[in-house]
Amino acid sequence: MHLVTLPLVVPLCTALLLLFWGRPSRGRRAMATASAVGQLVVALGLGIRTYDEGPWVLPVGNWAAPFGIVLVADLLSAVMIVLGSWTALMAIVYGSAELSVRVEHPLRLPLMQFLVAGINLSFLTGDLFNLFVAFEVMLIASYALLTLEADDWDIKQGFPYVAVNLAGSTLFLCGAGLAYRLFGTLNFADMAQRVAGMADDPRVVSLALLFLAVFGLKAGLFPLYYWLPNSYPILPAPVAALYAGMLTKVGVYVLLRIFGTVLPHELSGVHALLAWLAGATMLLGVVGALSRNFVRGILSYHILSQVGFMMLAIGFFTEFAFAASIFYIIHHIVVKSSLFLIGGTAALLNRTDNLDRMGNLWRHAPGLGVAFLFQALSLAGLPPLSGFWGKFAIAMEGLRLGEYVLVGISLVASILTLLSMLKIWNGAFWNAAEDREVCLWDWRWVRMNRVNLAMVAVSLGIGLGAEGVFQVATRAAQQVRDRDGYAAAVFAVRAKGVDVR
Amino acid sequence: MTDVRSYIFDRLVRGVFYLLNLVAFYLLWRGHNLPGGGFIAGLASAISLILRSLALGVEAMPRILRMDPMRLAAGGLGLATGTGLGAMVAGRPFLEHFHLHVHGLPWFGEVHLGTPFLFDVGVYLIVVGVVSKMLFVFMQSTRGLRALVEEEERRYSSPLEQPLEESARAANREDDRHAP
Repeated sequence: MHLVTLPLVVPLCTALLLLFWGRPSRGRRAMATASAVGQLVVALGLGIRTYDEGPWVLPVGNWAAPFGIVLVADLLSAVMIVLGSWTALMAIVYGSAELSVRVEHPLRLPLMQFLVAGINLSFLTGDLFNLFVAFEVMLIASYALLTLEADDWDIKQGFPYVAVNLAGSTLFLCGAGLAYRLFGTLNFADMAQRVAGMADDPRVVSLALLFLAVFGLKAGLFPLYYWLPNSYPILPAPVAALYAGMLTKVGVYVLLRIFGTVLPHELSGVHALLAWLAGATMLLGVVGALSRNFVRGILSYHILSQVGFMMLAIGFFTEFAFAASIFYIIHHIVVKSSLFLIGGTAALLNRTDNLDRMGNLWRHAPGLGVAFLFQALSLAGLPPLSGFWGKFAIAMEGLRLGEYVLVGISLVASILTLLSMLKIWNGAFWNAAEDREVCLWDWRWVRMNRVNLAMVAVSLGIGLGAEGVFQVATRAAQQVRDRDGYAAAVFAVRAKGVDVR
Repeated sequence: MTDVRSYIFDRLVRGVFYLLNLVAFYLLWRGHNLPGGGFIAGLASAISLILRSLALGVEAMPRILRMDPMRLAAGGLGLATGTGLGAMVAGRPFLEHFHLHVHGLPWFGEVHLGTPFLFDVGVYLIVVGVVSKMLFVFMQSTRGLRALVEEEERRYSSPLEQPLEESARAANREDDRHAP
């Protein structure tokens, strides 16, 4: 039972220790790394237990469900926490390889831990207002981290990020108010029980639309993605990897949770809207990526395009589509954060990430080239890499449902993804112009590339072991869509206040 | 806010400082069951510190506080988390709180003690620390002082950074050079 609180408490305590241990040193880094490894172990333990036993509930403060706040870990939460801990661990290891202790920013590690605590809380919470709190913890840490190491020019790009997310938080509060007015509760399980049979109620439909706007904004859904593609490139590579991997996926996770567990499954109009918005997102995102001429910019636009695929699967709203969406999230987090790390290593070697001035990397650093090739082709969706299976499952389900136009859009988006990846490949790796210097003497890239190869190994594992991963995704999808099972698990917990319920 | 110190203002603020902190303690103590609590008490205490800094000048504040406000805030967060962890160590759910009701004490009469008070003290420390840190940094920058004193420098900034105004000035110089 206490295992459920650890993903929240461990990063929080680590952040505090890091604040007290203010000066960067090797010991401080070692502590942060050890804590990240511990978080990964806890998350894996949580995953194994929830795979076998279903949702796990902890009443915070020992108050029973509708009165107190509950933390609920089901398989989807556990999978997301595993991925988050893995990405955070890799970001820390990569960051220590990239920067010497002497020039490390002392607030980067504590802020990353606060960010992870906020992310983990939003995966665990079973209460709408607590979710708002988790989002605030996460966002405030992310505002600080975004501008922490930015220079004067870059700090300007953080402004849309802050402004749009503040507006989103306000909308979120409005949504929570509307939900409380409608149901008299903000507990997910309680809401799921009270909403049954209200699918035709226009108030429930407008609540669903409001949630779609709020969490679509966090996830970067068309037309609310303006804040993302210019703000992510200003981050240093390891932090950008954590942002790219986790932050938008928190929005996707909440949409899965809200539409799968809380709101009634009969809201087909809203689901169709979600699918079409996702189609627009994946197409516009990839077109944006093609228009960019620097590595981080291309990759940032790709996040949007990929979020479109996950959202499309949520919009199809069958159990298989949910499983495909979860599989796609698993694949995407590993591949996308890995590509940001690889981009960072390439930028270190070429001393720029402007494709007009990069080149020669394949000849001088083939190890980096191999890592990039695997991840880029996986992102584009070539078999047998991990991206292929996710796209294959989503396209199959779309064809079965007769959504030919949307499947067509997704195939076009995949081809354009391949094109934009080839743009990076041609510009940075294959280009053999003599004047493009590769700073191989900068030995830091060797250790950084080891992290890249570890990420490649994981994503290859997902691709080759797709059967097993898909089984986990299917089980997670079943648990997310089992509204009665979720409510039963939450209300079965004995705590103070059970007798007055 | 001038650099000329007023003796009357200084004495007055000194009196108000103790009075405000008494009010803050009262708000903190009655928290939990009555209006009040750590947040509002923290604001009251932070106001008292800000008044002090207006009278004495912001550069005198480290001497009065004797510790870095950020550490105060981090300690508060640690205390609040610690009350939750205590319950976990005892095998109870995270953040469960315990109460003790004592009757017939001399002088006090009936006393209600509970771990939520410790949690509130944590909140109080966070608010005092964060508010005073933010406002002191703002005050330092408006008076043209450095935002960080020397011993804080490596705890809150990287040697790769330079103060915003300086790099902006450098960028402007760059622009001037390129202008025809």
